[in-house]
Amino acid sequence: MSSREAFLTRVKQAVADGNRAGAVPSLPERAGVGYQGAGSDPVQRFIAELANAGGKGYVVSDVDAVMQTIQSIVQAHNARRILLSRGGLIDQFALPHKLKDAGFDVQTLDDMQANPQEDFFHADIGITNVHRLIAETGTVVMASQPNEPRSVSLLPPVHICLAERSQILPDLFNLFDLFSPTATPDRSLPPSCLTLITGPSKTGDIELKLVTGVHGPGELHVIVCG
Amino acid sequence: MTNMNYAQHEHHDFLNASAEALADPTLQKALVRLTDTLMAGNRKGYAALADSSDLRDHAKRIKEHTLAHLDEYLVQLEMSVHKLGGKVHWAATAEEARKIVVAIAQAAKCRHAVKSKSMTSEEIHLNPALEKAGVEVTETDFGEYIIQVAGERPSHLVAPAVHHTRESVARVLSQHLGETLSDDPKALAMVGRRVLREKFRRADLGITGANFAVAETGTIVLVTNEGNGRLTTTVPRVHVAIMGIEKVIPRFNDLPVFLKLLARAATGQTLSVYTTIITGPRQPGEVDGPEEFHLVLLDNGRSKVLATPFRESLQCIRCGACLNACPVYRRIGGHAYGGVYSGPIGSILTPLFDSVAENPHLPHVSSLCGACQAACPVKINIPHMLIGLRELQHAHKPSRLERWAYQLWSMVLCRPRLYHWAIWAARVILGRRAKAGWIDQMPGPGAEWTKIRDFPAPAAMPFRERWKELS
Repeated sequence: MSSREAFLTRVKQAVADGNRAGAVPSLPERAGVGYQGAGSDPVQRFIAELANAGGKGYVVSDVDAVMQTIQSIVQAHNARRILLSRGGLIDQFALPHKLKDAGFDVQTLDDMQANPQEDFFHADIGITNVHRLIAETGTVVMASQPNEPRSVSLLPPVHICLAERSQILPDLFNLFDLFSPTATPDRSLPPSCLTLITGPSKTGDIELKLVTGVHGPGELHVIVCG
Repeated sequence: MTNMNYAQHEHHDFLNASAEALADPTLQKALVRLTDTLMAGNRKGYAALADSSDLRDHAKRIKEHTLAHLDEYLVQLEMSVHKLGGKVHWAATAEEARKIVVAIAQAAKCRHAVKSKSMTSEEIHLNPALEKAGVEVTETDFGEYIIQVAGERPSHLVAPAVHHTRESVARVLSQHLGETLSDDPKALAMVGRRVLREKFRRADLGITGANFAVAETGTIVLVTNEGNGRLTTTVPRVHVAIMGIEKVIPRFNDLPVFLKLLARAATGQTLSVYTTIITGPRQPGEVDGPEEFHLVLLDNGRSKVLATPFRESLQCIRCGACLNACPVYRRIGGHAYGGVYSGPIGSILTPLFDSVAENPHLPHVSSLCGACQAACPVKINIPHMLIGLRELQHAHKPSRLERWAYQLWSMVLCRPRLYHWAIWAARVILGRRAKAGWIDQMPGPGAEWTKIRDFPAPAAMPFRERWKELS
């Protein structure tokens, strides 16, 4: 018997030995339990929860306001290298072009060599789109794909992301239903890496003193457009 | 730090280790600060979720169901991971798990491993095995990094370095890095960022645990606040996740049930900062993320527990809430428990995974007050299982003195006159020793009791006589 078969035989036997007759529960349906929702104003709820988690939210109406917001963050950090992911609002607003024109050292995925790791490690600010926002928890959801590498929202000390109002989901449960074979038969597969970001990187490992930015970005800025 | 030796004690030294912890004022202060803060978060977290109690019941039922069909869900998980292009490994013991990880590292020619915090890898003592095989291993959770440098073990599930002060961290890191560091927590954390970034940059192997694994999609989930779990699964070209078999859950949309509870129970956060949900290796066109994904399924005593009434202990999601709630943990801290898992849940898991006979004290390290169960996100009946372990222990090793004592006790109870006489005698003898309602020195075998705590003085008038007066 292979080690795999021996392993499974042992578990199967243990399951049978431990199961009490008549007491083996079926897989429960959740119905509405635990659903919080976002209340009447999802945008406001998102911004408030994001602030609770230590992030900063901006609601803006046009591309000029987006540029202004980004510029003020970049200037506040005296940042030099800006890393951008591709597609979505970033392309729609022609951000790489506009930021280059404004005199910043801009690095897009198109500019990069075959091994972009060094660029990722050296950037001062990363700007991304988002997959979704979750109002209930103030969470930014990133889905890995060729246009959206995991590193852009992770390695630079500051993360700025752009979202549309329509990308806001009320509750955490709504997000998981999008990828659930059980809830949505014609769903898309989960991406190789789905990341839920709720605030800046935090540690309390020394005397419970809250320090931000120990591994991930120490600052999280979310610009909600529209 | 007045005394750091207790970190190295083995479980047989429970009494000495806990006495040392009690005598350490720095540790006492740190434990109060940690457990008070986290427990306040736990209560606030549950209160802020309208039907948290129902959600906890729902989570418990999912775990009950999964454990009752564990073999089937493991096979489904394996199939899902294979479909994604990942590889599943079956490790019956800690030794097998170590061999598997070392073999993966050697086959992929990895030399530099980074590790995200994983209790399972602590459990199998992975680091020495990898180092012996020539692979450098770096713990990347900041707290874990501190204790790795100090040569210690974690003392709390979510706050592994709670027994350290800013001064001791500065000392440990200064010595290790050959620099003089300030003891400002922010500055120290930035030193951690700098040093660990270099480790990440050249890492070729990322090792993680898994908070959850989803059978139907082959997904694993990592929950961290620092982001080291993300770095570990982004930069290195090989990712190995090691998980206990009890971590599997059936459906993708069961995940938010547990995610909503885990951080609330642990710290009071609605979610931890980073929830990393990994479904297979990097896909075509992606420029980062691991090219290889390995999932190591670890038994190491779990199937043994699965067959017993202690199965409920396998529902644990390792949030640490029972530690924070426990009046015993709050005084003695994690190292005194000796095992990898400490606190109330550790007092169950360590004897079950290791040996009941070798851990005689652990099932008794509880006042059975029930605070652990009240704090638990899946409402594990920890007191009930501690009592069960005590029964098991009795079957293993009945102490002769205890047997005699109970025989004598039952003989006295069966003879009313003798009983009255014995009560009178005890009252007279003990009454003489009492000072202000307490006895601080008992005669005979009772001295063992008063060596560590006072004994209440007998009442001036026994209940039987008061009853007579009343009626």
